[in-house]
Amino acid sequence: MSEAGPPRPRIAISVRSGRGFLNLRLNPRRGQALEAAERILGQPMPRAANTFTAGENEVYWLGPDEWLVATGAKRVSALGSELAEALGGFHAAVNDVSGGHVELLVRGADARTVLAKGCTLDLHPREFVPGQCAQTGLGRAAVLLAAGDPSTCTIVVRRSFSGYLRRWLAYAARPRGARLPAL
Amino acid sequence: MLLIECPWCGPRAETEFSYGGEAGIERPADPYALSDAEWADYLFFRRNPRGAHRELWHHAQGCRRWFGVERDTVSYRIEKSYRLSGAGSGRPAAAHIEASKEKRR
Repeated sequence: MSEAGPPRPRIAISVRSGRGFLNLRLNPRRGQALEAAERILGQPMPRAANTFTAGENEVYWLGPDEWLVATGAKRVSALGSELAEALGGFHAAVNDVSGGHVELLVRGADARTVLAKGCTLDLHPREFVPGQCAQTGLGRAAVLLAAGDPSTCTIVVRRSFSGYLRRWLAYAARPRGARLPAL
Repeated sequence: MLLIECPWCGPRAETEFSYGGEAGIERPADPYALSDAEWADYLFFRRNPRGAHRELWHHAQGCRRWFGVERDTVSYRIEKSYRLSGAGSGRPAAAHIEASKEKRR
């Protein structure tokens, strides 16, 4: 029997830094507000509940009249102004919520298994398919979960909960050899 | 744990929701015409039936929308959940407030 080192972790938890977030609210059934926002974003907005579109930015569905736009921290201010200007004639709101959110990436073959420990949703790749997102509970925190490819999940969480969530993730992933991500 | 169907997000665990009490309680058209007893009845008293119950739920950890649920208070079976859109979705209350302002003028 050959001497094997500790098993290589099949999960990696990291913080995606340099991100900016805009909360976008508009009535998709009134006028051309949705289309106006899409022209500025340069990508389609998700119309179906609990889905997101990825392009230059990620646009997550949060509610029937609410979206979260994730973009680069350097781009967020200009993008917010452009959106606000384009939506000026509509009953709409654009708010920069960058300061309140942290984006975490959980990657690897064990990513979904670890997340499933603290989440009531079925996170199997057959059910939670790429392009889907969901606001739900993870551990004791309210999060936005998004499925990238089958081995990658993005988590957007309130900044005040991110320390807790990173510790929770590290604890949940410890049996699988993961280390505590930098705080 | 209850599995509650959010009209937007689909079936989710009860822990994602908060309870909002009995549904369909209309604000009186003219609060100033009510006796104290009638006003207290509107504010504080609820039906608490045994059996079918219409109630409000809030998808607090999800899409943060209010919606209506028909639940049996004995079996806890949820007969249906529905969006609070169309008639009776809050617009009448605003109209009532306008009407009572008119009366005070």
